[in-house]
Amino acid sequence: MSILTEHTGAANHAAHEQGQASGEPPLRAERVTKEYLGGSRVALDNISIDIKENQITALIGPSGCGKTTFLRLMAGLEYPTRGSVTAYGKPIMGPGPERGMVFQAYTSFPWLTIRENVQHGMKIQGFSKAEQRDRAEHFLKLVHLDEYADAYPGELSGGMKQRVAIARTLAQGPELLLLDEPFGALDAQVTWEMEEMAVDIIERESKTVVLVTHDIQEAIYLADRILFFTRQPGRIKEDIAMEFKQGRRFAKKEELLVEPGYVDMEKRLYTMMREEIQGRIS
Amino acid sequence: MNDAPLSGSVSRADLLVADDENLKAEAPLFKPPREQFLGLRGSVGRYQSMFLGMVGIIALFVAWEIAHVMTPENQQKFLPSVGQVVSKIAYLFTEKGYIADVAKSVYRIYVSFFFACLFAVPLGLFKGCFAKIRALINPTVGGLRYLPAASFVPLLLVYFGPTDFAKLALLFLGCVFFLTALILDNVEAVPKELIESAQTMGASRWHIVFRVAFRSAAPQILDSMRNMIAVSWTYLVIAEIVAATDGIGAVMMRGARFLHVDIIMGGILTIGVLGVLTDLSFRIAGHFLFPYIRARR
Ligand SMILES: Nc1ncnc2c1ncn2[C@@H]1O[C@H](COP(=O)(O)OP(=O)(O)OP(=O)(O)O)[C@@H](O)[C@H]1O
Ligand SMILES: [Mg+2]
Repeated sequence: MSILTEHTGAANHAAHEQGQASGEPPLRAERVTKEYLGGSRVALDNISIDIKENQITALIGPSGCGKTTFLRLMAGLEYPTRGSVTAYGKPIMGPGPERGMVFQAYTSFPWLTIRENVQHGMKIQGFSKAEQRDRAEHFLKLVHLDEYADAYPGELSGGMKQRVAIARTLAQGPELLLLDEPFGALDAQVTWEMEEMAVDIIERESKTVVLVTHDIQEAIYLADRILFFTRQPGRIKEDIAMEFKQGRRFAKKEELLVEPGYVDMEKRLYTMMREEIQGRIS
Repeated sequence: MNDAPLSGSVSRADLLVADDENLKAEAPLFKPPREQFLGLRGSVGRYQSMFLGMVGIIALFVAWEIAHVMTPENQQKFLPSVGQVVSKIAYLFTEKGYIADVAKSVYRIYVSFFFACLFAVPLGLFKGCFAKIRALINPTVGGLRYLPAASFVPLLLVYFGPTDFAKLALLFLGCVFFLTALILDNVEAVPKELIESAQTMGASRWHIVFRVAFRSAAPQILDSMRNMIAVSWTYLVIAEIVAATDGIGAVMMRGARFLHVDIIMGGILTIGVLGVLTDLSFRIAGHFLFPYIRARR
């Protein structure tokens, strides 16, 4: 937290803080439609939604419903066919360091060491050498990879590589974190560890997060709010606030399981998922 | 389970307790099953690999020697023995200044290849990074690739005469189009996610072209170069056959005129050895340029 607020980064951060003051939401989709293949495939159909500041918003829904597409629109890696996506009131016209993205695939640069990978985004943005070093150290500690700072990604396990991606994205100091199934490729135990780590980091760094996941438990555990997508064409079926959590985040996953209201929420989401899947079969 | 083992069966826990003393001592080294000689994707030790390589080479020479011995006496000058060829090479080096020819050929290969790389690397890189440049250049280069380099020989002779430049140009033309195509493939194979994640870091276009796309494809590009310079060696003789006064190819042509098969075979042998050395030098360069590849499991 301290490092993040102290750093006096590049111009885009200053520009961003202006936007933040205007009271506009960090992300807003207005009547967004995304078509592929010249309109014959509609990935997203007329979606309007605000992402709220300092919240973790989970996007969940059946495979192929347009979650990744929606996230890529917010990252600026693709543009909507109709409607607009804005960040703090400004239309998103391309990717930028203020919207950090963690991809589903491992995206560390294999030719750089772990430390250099984490520093790379900062280097591009013109952080000072000292700042690069300190922040890299801070975030590598945060993801428990400080001992591997001088290793190459090729020497790391899948879970470790994903932690590098998270540290790297955090280190560049984004206002927004966009996570596309960040733990999707990991086995159950590592996923669980990483989820708890994510809660810890997001809590400490107080970030606005949009998380795509296909895991109902993960969504309930991490999110303050869940957007449930219908299957193709993607619409928001339901916008569910995790009210039973009363604004708390849990350091341990098992603490969540005994929370009154948890089971009902899980059941509700499973039922919705079943409806969507059966809709496809019939 | 441990508390109440089924009667008649001995539970695992009982066994462990009974042998308790034994369990504390260090176990003997485990002997994995002996690897079959032709184990699928089996491993080869450093020395074993060198040994097998030598066996292959020696087998070739032995076959050659046998063929020589079986050739009728009066025909043997058309298939000289290994010893004759090797001593001919030694003779060429000591008496005929062969070293200058070898140096000239090596110079031609490396200089022409250097210029081919100077063209092909940026061209392939930009084609791989920018769709419009690709659309502009690809049909042309793609077509030129099919022209046999040897067909340029008369043209180059008309343009440049029997000069060194004509030979360099032929070697250049022989590999530049293929090299461009290979490098394009290498750059296109760069994972999209690497480029997109650089974009979400705020990287500029040129940063991505040179520091991400090129850097990511670099080991594969070096491999493409290694494969193409081998092709370049195969063009050497064609380039030096025509109106050449020096170079390995010229020496071989002179040998041919006087039916000195031993000289021709000596030239072939020299090119083979130089080719292997070239290949080795690229591999060694790769080893030092891309240490992270070694780390990959
Ligand atoms: N580049 C593309 N060209 C054509 N169709 C596409 C493209 N990208 C996505 N789509 C289509 O858009 C729809 C939504 O895809 P998207 O990747 O957003 O799904 P998703 O919800 O992330 O699925 P998953 O949970 O399986 O990752 C799919 O039907 C997909 O086929
Ligand atoms: Mg997806």
